[in-house]
Amino acid sequence: MSTSKLNIEGVMLFEQPFARVPYENYRKVFRASQRNVEKELGAVQSAANDLAKRSKARNNSTEDSIKAVDSMITRVENLKRKLSELQSSAGTPTLGVMRERLQHLAAVEDIPSVNEPEFTRWADTRLDRWLVDWALRTGKEKTARMIAEDRGIERLVDIDLFSDVCRIEEGLKRQSCSEALAWCSENKSSLRKLKEYIELARARKNEDAIAYSKKHLLPWQETHLAQIRQAAALLCFPPTTTCGPYKRLYDPARWTTLVQSFRLAVYNLSTLPTEPLLHLAVYAGLASLKLPACYDRHTKNTNCPVCDPNLGELAKEVPYSHHVNSTIVCRLSGKIMDADNMPMAFPNGYVYSKEALEEMALRDDGYVTCPRTGDRCLFSELRKVFIS
Amino acid sequence: MDGPLKELAKLEKLASNASAKGKAPNINDSLDALLHSLREVKDRLQVGSATEDTLSILARTVEGKKKEVDERQKEVYNTLNRLGKTLDKKFSSPLPSYPPLFASPEAVSALERTVALHFLRTGQFNTAEAFIEEVGMDVDAETRGRFVDLHHTLTALRQRDIRAALVWTEQNRDFLRARSSSLEFFLHRSQYINLLLATHPPDVASALSYAKAAFPPFSSTHEQEIRRLMTCVLYLPLARLQASPYADLASPSLHLDLEPMFAKEYCASLGMSRQVPLRVVGDIGGGGALARIEKGRRVMRERKSEWSRTDELPIEIPLPPQNRYHSIFACPVSKEQSTDQNPPMMMTCGHVITKDSLHKLSKNSQRVKCPYCPVESQLAAALRVYF
Repeated sequence: MSTSKLNIEGVMLFEQPFARVPYENYRKVFRASQRNVEKELGAVQSAANDLAKRSKARNNSTEDSIKAVDSMITRVENLKRKLSELQSSAGTPTLGVMRERLQHLAAVEDIPSVNEPEFTRWADTRLDRWLVDWALRTGKEKTARMIAEDRGIERLVDIDLFSDVCRIEEGLKRQSCSEALAWCSENKSSLRKLKEYIELARARKNEDAIAYSKKHLLPWQETHLAQIRQAAALLCFPPTTTCGPYKRLYDPARWTTLVQSFRLAVYNLSTLPTEPLLHLAVYAGLASLKLPACYDRHTKNTNCPVCDPNLGELAKEVPYSHHVNSTIVCRLSGKIMDADNMPMAFPNGYVYSKEALEEMALRDDGYVTCPRTGDRCLFSELRKVFIS
Repeated sequence: MDGPLKELAKLEKLASNASAKGKAPNINDSLDALLHSLREVKDRLQVGSATEDTLSILARTVEGKKKEVDERQKEVYNTLNRLGKTLDKKFSSPLPSYPPLFASPEAVSALERTVALHFLRTGQFNTAEAFIEEVGMDVDAETRGRFVDLHHTLTALRQRDIRAALVWTEQNRDFLRARSSSLEFFLHRSQYINLLLATHPPDVASALSYAKAAFPPFSSTHEQEIRRLMTCVLYLPLARLQASPYADLASPSLHLDLEPMFAKEYCASLGMSRQVPLRVVGDIGGGGALARIEKGRRVMRERKSEWSRTDELPIEIPLPPQNRYHSIFACPVSKEQSTDQNPPMMMTCGHVITKDSLHKLSKNSQRVKCPYCPVESQLAAALRVYF
């Protein structure tokens, strides 16, 4: 079971968020433009209708009409400016990102085999992208920026998205909600369901400010009546309360929960997986390679990633690979032994590939030496081994 | 990716104000036209030539233009939705969700070390420094120095400067000999060919004097090769050499192969793998392994049989030959994998089965008939083999 053909389906499994993030971003831009159009043109339209009605009823002066038309002109000019700003600052760049990413994905579809140099370059970029994603998710923004800049892949990674997330999380850790709330209102329409977590957990902080709860909690009355009642009742308890459910609401750990639920909401909204892509790839890669032999001092192979001490530590979390057929790998050449490159056994039972042993015999007057035991014999004394 | 790209092109066309290919005119034009009518009305109001109808016509114009803008927005919206659908179709299966992976402190620091070494190994030294600082990790100067050395040597090799590489091979001659590596000889060979071919007309004298100094230590191991290198001089210049039986010596791979070969030996001397390990793991994981594992899990779920995630995968992940690092012996009789307690045994005929199967086949006698060939042999003559 060996293959060098590119498994496009397997490759693309990782790329959904990569293609989707700029798409969702563009939807956001579109919604913003739509809001502007509705607001400004709607106002202009009703002003124009109003003006027409009043002029029919002959109850307006020319000055008033000029004033009304003037304000309509200002609105349309404003709208025009806003739309073009939106397009140049967000729309066009997002479309550019989308194009570059889709083309990046299209490029790999045309590569016939993993042995092509094009694939090596593509996979290098992919690993760089994963590393950026991982660094961003684990709060290493500086490293992330450095990789992106060094490799020229700024448009292939989502640094801005994550730095927003980081900023908001910082705020939440300082027990301040303003950043998070601003973000929530920005993404209101698509949040509906997710936002509840945040609103809900946020109640904890503001339970002492009645005015605040009135303002912010009222809109959530329908869905979260129970929680709001509880928050209101909380006002009767001092923070030192020992009463079970209310103590829980005062627990500072709520802020950690809040950070986590916020993060989940963002990932969901941007169709990002909750785990770093690097983790998923490494998990699957290690599981494909892991064998009991990787953890045996005598059978370690420096070329095997799982035998590497660091990756080996990670591999402890993953299952062993599964094999039904024999594969015999030559410890001299690293090549797989088969009918074309027969395994040959020393009289002591140690097995190597015919090719490697022949080469050794050529250099040493027909003698071969077992590198593991030091036994030396003539090539002609070796026995052919049949693995069926 | 054709589908999404096609829809994206449409979207780009709609978004750019320059072209007005859509059914509705672009928004900028509609707004300009609207502004024009508004200003006209204002002028007429100011000079007093506005009639009763002027304002009701204006109201209709506004309505018309608003409709145009809405239509254009609708087109954008529809295209955007179509693009979304093509993306859904292309990426039909979402990434699987896992409970947090590699979250233990040991795993976190192991991954961070792996990443740091990855940056160093791939010569991204600035990134490596920034990363090590940001994580607050401790990577000793010696390790860093080695990678810097490696990188400098490789960069020099790329420019056909073999000096740094030669210094290293001379220092590690014993190691290379033990690995029966021809790296040092190949470096000299590259230099010699370079001297022969670099100048016009060829400077044979200096190449030969280089050969005299460099090749004698290799006369026992590479006699044939040296002879060829000496005689290829007869076929100079380059154009003739390329058409001669010595054409292989004119090939650029003679020099290009040095870089990976040097990296391999250098890494081996430090106990490091020949390929960049994080790349290997990532390529396997991202090249179908995750998809297969997920498929396996799905099938197992459908059959309502759980498999423990920490034990063994339920399916085999195919690996390319270069990623097989350990021998696996599955007994052709019992299908079980060999272990220390149940090792592979070779019968006199050369066929290998596990010890348990061997004893079962012998049926308590001292002789055993090979299940794969007609040979019958003594049980005691079976030899334990080590792969």
